Amino acid sequence: MRQLLNSDMEILVESDFIYLPLLFDPAIEKEVLTLLRPGRPMENPGHPESKTIITHKDRQFVKALSITSVLENYEVINAYDYKNRRKEFLKKYQLTREVDDILLDDTLKTILFRVMPYFVRKNRGLQRKKLQYEDILDLIGEKIDIPEKYYKEAKTFRHVEHLRAVLKGLENQKPIFKPPANGLLSTHQLRDWFHEAVHAKILAKEHDRLTKALQIRLQFSQAKPEHAATLLYIADTGSMEIDGFGFTRKNGYRGEYFVYKRMGEYVLKDYYARSYLFPACRVAVSTYTPFRPFVMEKYKHPFLLRHKSGQDICMKHFAPPDEFTAENAIRILEEGLTALRYGYDARRRNGYHSLDRTWVHIPTIDFEDYRI
Amino acid sequence: MTFLQHIKTERARQRKKKPLKRDVFNQICSLVKQYDLKESFLSVLDKVEDGLSGENFKFNRVKLKTPMENSLFSLATKDEYSLTMSIIAKVDNAYLKFATSPEEILLCGPLYRLNPLLTNQKLMRYHFETLLLHERAKANRKR
Repeated sequence: MRQLLNSDMEILVESDFIYLPLLFDPAIEKEVLTLLRPGRPMENPGHPESKTIITHKDRQFVKALSITSVLENYEVINAYDYKNRRKEFLKKYQLTREVDDILLDDTLKTILFRVMPYFVRKNRGLQRKKLQYEDILDLIGEKIDIPEKYYKEAKTFRHVEHLRAVLKGLENQKPIFKPPANGLLSTHQLRDWFHEAVHAKILAKEHDRLTKALQIRLQFSQAKPEHAATLLYIADTGSMEIDGFGFTRKNGYRGEYFVYKRMGEYVLKDYYARSYLFPACRVAVSTYTPFRPFVMEKYKHPFLLRHKSGQDICMKHFAPPDEFTAENAIRILEEGLTALRYGYDARRRNGYHSLDRTWVHIPTIDFEDYRI
Repeated sequence: MTFLQHIKTERARQRKKKPLKRDVFNQICSLVKQYDLKESFLSVLDKVEDGLSGENFKFNRVKLKTPMENSLFSLATKDEYSLTMSIIAKVDNAYLKFATSPEEILLCGPLYRLNPLLTNQKLMRYHFETLLLHERAKANRKR
């Protein structure tokens, strides 16, 4: 498509399709003669799209691309160009901050409001009740020292008038793009039209985003400013830790996180009942496949193949789930923690390595330094 | 041959690799595109035919065959296609598919008239001008 738009030739536009000049060889010529034979019935009579070859001013053109389809998928076809155009557009309307997108993020909501309450001590004393959204945000506010700037931002975030004005401005100058007229077009004409259409598409998309953002901000305008500040802090930093439970945003992957639970020091015994003290670590699960528990730190353990960071924990009968849900995340973390602490059987020496030196195989990982 | 044997031999024949044959259209179309030949080439072709038919035409040098990388399947615009087909129709002989330059297209006709029985190996290896010189020399010796 890029080559086509940058080339210098004449193309034909007919019923929303781009027709390119037909190239010939003897077989194609024969086929064209058959297709254009007078009196031949059409493939799909009544449908203008059924014309595969069109003769225009003694030149043959062959059906090539659907304009609508190219336009719809331009974001994928030429991601680089689309990104640049979008960036320019957002700069124009001062919309480069994507806090609203993050607040719309369902994964983050799941971690925050459904996974976290399972691992965090919520109630004092004997009091037992299910926490609501507000309670969780209060709890986070209590346990985390949120910088002052987020409280200031929360105040402006709750003022929706500026956003309303921007939205109205966008609506007023919303260009209506028309498909190009049927007939011959030069590629530079098509290119100009195409760029305008892409611009209109970005505008429509951002319009939707802004409308959603406005809705969110309207919701937040009802909420306490402290809650808005907490959410802004989380959205901005992308990570948080309370009572050994935490999550951190994966660099380079938008909307993807590592959810982890800290595990303190623990002791495992070998075949001869000698004790080994294992250091603290974080057992984590990612919000994208494979949904398997792993140890974030550089770590060694009989259930880890090597001595490095980010290793999956070896679990024999563990079937990873297909999707990321709160229940799955809790189960994976629980299983990972249990496997590390209680999974090693000194009699069977299960896992990749044994704690004591067996001398049967060449030892790759040694646990002598952990012995107490 | 039983029916089963027939099926087996037929399938074996179908599975066998078929070498890609040299195609006159691909060859000439590649030349047209590579050398950007125009309609005027056809008039040059006519003139050369007339000029070379005279016995007094002499070549002074021996040329080497131009190495050429032609595509397996050529597709041409309408103008290129009509020019290619016109050249093929005008020259219309078995040596044309061995031409690797416009010059060889021009010499194709005279060479074929002198000796229509040249082997494919010779046509692939030697420039048509060299072959034409050789054939002329042979004809003169006979006389």
